[in-house]
Amino acid sequence: MISAAEVAVRIKRLPIFPEAPARLAALLAQGSSGVDEFEKVIKPDPGLTANLLRLANSAYFGLTRRIASAREAITILGLKRVYDVASMAAMQGFLPARLPGYELSSDGYWQHCVAVACLAENMARAGGAHAPALVFTAGLMHDIGKLVLGEFLALHAAPILEKLRHDGVSLIGAEREILGVDHSEVGAEVAFVWKLPDAVVSVIRWHHDPSKVPEGVDRSCVDLVHVADALAHSFGFGADIGELRRPLDAQAFDRLKLAVPALELVAAGSLADIESLTGLAKASDRGDKL
Amino acid sequence: MKLVTVDIADSRVSADPDVTLVTYALGSCIGVMAYDPVRVAAGMIHYMLPLSETSPDKAKARPAMFADVGIPLLFHSLYALGCDKKNLIVKVAGGGTMHDESGRFAIGQRNYTILRKMFWKTGVVISAEDVGGSKSRTVRLAVATGRCTITSSGEEVEL
Repeated sequence: MISAAEVAVRIKRLPIFPEAPARLAALLAQGSSGVDEFEKVIKPDPGLTANLLRLANSAYFGLTRRIASAREAITILGLKRVYDVASMAAMQGFLPARLPGYELSSDGYWQHCVAVACLAENMARAGGAHAPALVFTAGLMHDIGKLVLGEFLALHAAPILEKLRHDGVSLIGAEREILGVDHSEVGAEVAFVWKLPDAVVSVIRWHHDPSKVPEGVDRSCVDLVHVADALAHSFGFGADIGELRRPLDAQAFDRLKLAVPALELVAAGSLADIESLTGLAKASDRGDKL
Repeated sequence: MKLVTVDIADSRVSADPDVTLVTYALGSCIGVMAYDPVRVAAGMIHYMLPLSETSPDKAKARPAMFADVGIPLLFHSLYALGCDKKNLIVKVAGGGTMHDESGRFAIGQRNYTILRKMFWKTGVVISAEDVGGSKSRTVRLAVATGRCTITSSGEEVEL
């Protein structure tokens, strides 16, 4: 078991997450923000600007011409989309070389984040509706708790593996049993420190318990990310020590009202998106420890 | 040894005895491994989904995404290398499943069912398989010897 204080110390020790996404989120929440305000946040940060342009020009965002400036990206993509892309740029710059405990490389982790983001968004669209705002970023960030919990997992590797491989316990269940806390709880704390929008924090907190979402919290994003997470693991995007030992919440799946053929169509359609956004991450990074 | 990676929705064949084909992290996806000891050639597919009718466009662009068009592609590529169907030793791995008591999310089982149907119709015998369960599997197949190994849950076993 680990204490809340130990977790808090580790969260404090994380490298500083770029400020830009939080500032953009605050602007979005105010509702009155415009292109100028967004540009003021992004432009002073050359790394973020470069990443924003690189990602904005990737096939996933479907633009017909090349974007050359932050302002253009904001005008063409829209504010919410720029927030998604800024989150992605920030996350990409933030990744550690490895996630200890989970036996996951940085590329494998990133591929999983991107896969969940794309699958969640494409599933929402397949339902015929607009994707809920921020579902992409929520998908991208859903596992940030692993960035902190990994070190604790590594310290308790033997009992965790015993639970997983011999007792048939799920990864999240093994975290709870051995560490007394799981990566969704820790992730919500990290999200709070990083000042992520409330909708994203809720997804991070409840993505393994979509049917326990408290009243007043929008469940649609949580359901989408829960099922996208299952799909991503099913297809081997970011395989870690949990392998496929992850529970699927059938009620969350039913709430999405997506029949199996529609889900498979989303999966087929998302592969190219995932590959383009991860820059064709080498397959060898997906399971190099298995 | 040259390691040739078979990506997701990808199919590769080789008659180079230095080559080992490898595919990583088969979850609900299925890997089919085929080896001809006479011609000394091998092939592997890593498909995601059972039926190409799901997305004819994607099936055209990436046939190895689907069992129904991908598996014939693997076999025809092997015949093109000079392999003979009667010599082929065929092994299967993957088709895993999440912890899903409701069975609503049975992509792995569907992937396996279609494979069995196709092999039954075309008279292909599976000589060894490691399918189902909640495992993630990495498979290696050596062209020179046909040695096929599966790494999963921290252990490597011969298939």
